[in-house]
Amino acid sequence: MAALVAAGALGRRLAGLGRAGGRRLVQSRPGAPPVPESPPEPPPETPPEPGYPGVVESTAEYAFVERLLPPTRVPDPPRHPSYPTPSGWTPPQDPPPALPYFVRRSRLHNVPVYRDVTNGNRELTVVRKIEGDIWALEGELRAFLAQRAGREPRTQVNELTGTLRVKGRFDGEVRAWLLQKGF
Amino acid sequence: MTSSGTRREDVIAARRPGSPDRTRPAAHRAAPRRAAVMLARPRAAAWARAAAAAAAAAAAAARALSAPAGPPDSPAPASATTAAAAAAAVPRSEKLFLERPRLPVLRACSTALPPHRAPAQAWVESLRHHDDTRLGLADLHPDVFAVNPRLDILHAVAMWQKNFKRISYAKVKTRAEVRGGGRKPWRQKGTGRSRQGSIRSPLWRGGGIAHGPRGPTSYFYMLPMKVRVMGLKVALTVKLMQDDLHVVDCLEMPTADPQYLLELARYRRWGQSVLIVDVNEMPENIENAAASLKTITLIPALGLNVHSMLKHHTLVLTLDAVAFLEKKLLWHDTRYSPLYPFSMPYSDFP
Repeated sequence: MAALVAAGALGRRLAGLGRAGGRRLVQSRPGAPPVPESPPEPPPETPPEPGYPGVVESTAEYAFVERLLPPTRVPDPPRHPSYPTPSGWTPPQDPPPALPYFVRRSRLHNVPVYRDVTNGNRELTVVRKIEGDIWALEGELRAFLAQRAGREPRTQVNELTGTLRVKGRFDGEVRAWLLQKGF
Repeated sequence: MTSSGTRREDVIAARRPGSPDRTRPAAHRAAPRRAAVMLARPRAAAWARAAAAAAAAAAAAARALSAPAGPPDSPAPASATTAAAAAAAVPRSEKLFLERPRLPVLRACSTALPPHRAPAQAWVESLRHHDDTRLGLADLHPDVFAVNPRLDILHAVAMWQKNFKRISYAKVKTRAEVRGGGRKPWRQKGTGRSRQGSIRSPLWRGGGIAHGPRGPTSYFYMLPMKVRVMGLKVALTVKLMQDDLHVVDCLEMPTADPQYLLELARYRRWGQSVLIVDVNEMPENIENAAASLKTITLIPALGLNVHSMLKHHTLVLTLDAVAFLEKKLLWHDTRYSPLYPFSMPYSDFP
């Protein structure tokens, strides 16, 4: 600390020889740590020029972010000129058929018939989302499958959850049958 | 429906004079109405005066009320005339300077109904006067207020709510952690006693516990989001179907007296405990009134949960709360699976 003060004083005395000479004499000691300089003072604030608009926060470009955010809801299917569509989809009948039961579509607008396999060999056909008189649907489905398969398949009805399980792999036929009914 | 061969007229003819009429299901609701009216009448005039004095500076003027329009009560008309006589005894013009909505208050579902289902309905009531029980009709979406009564889901969600927060802090020491027991207490053979290796084995008094609770145990688990949503819908359905759900247009009260709220709940036979739900801001009067009450609870709509709905006897929803719940709960029926958590921004999150 004293050495630095002394160096500073020496530099100031030698500054009379010439500004560059004094600085070179003080700072050119080999191996010495650099003299810490005080941080440069900020320039004094000048008043803004007339016509300078200042800083403006703009959210106009956020539209480019918003258009990338995905939707959360499954959209309603658009109207097609003819049904079934090329992928084989048919909308539900509007108004709903006048039957004692009703089978709702899934959230992706498909007929809720699924295949369940247990132990690799036990195949079931499951019809979900049934509302109304589920036993009437079960009777009609039994009759239809008896006519198709030659014998009545075993079925299980769960009134509380609105599901119907049929033993056997009939999901394509049941789906077509429900579509033909208008669900 | 009575069993085959028994007619209601035969049952009535066979009844002894003076015995209660049990042929009508809601008969027990008709008779006590007279007593309930006696309950309210002495205090109503005092509150009305207090409310009028306090609200004298309020802007709204009392409107003359026509007789409540709507279908008469299912029990015998005798109770309706008694109620009307009692209502006339408490003059309505004295009771309030609170602003009232245009009657009748009708609320339609904002979300499209499925084509094969009709909406569930509830009377719109009000807390401004003890007789404001039929100001209008509210349509309630059937996919929220009339779902299948899945008691198994209700149980699962209620148990989840109870257990997922549980951390059991029980911990006992094993034979390795109990102090001591490093040395074999006596030699293996020749002493005549059983062979023992340590005085802290689980067989010993003071020894470690073999299969005891070990450390803080967490019972955290999450049910799928759609199961929890279904639990809320089933609870709302059960409340509506068991006549424990009441829809109120807003929570404005004439006074901040907790006793008013208690006696209103008692007069309207709301049960031992009432859960009142509004969306965000609640008027000061009801906040101050419910603050000191244990059996009447005020919660925001975001705090609605299956346990609270089952714990409280009656659920009171405002029209705003009904709209909020319908919007939030019906969104789950038509949404995609999340690409990323729903806490991050989506374009049309409800």
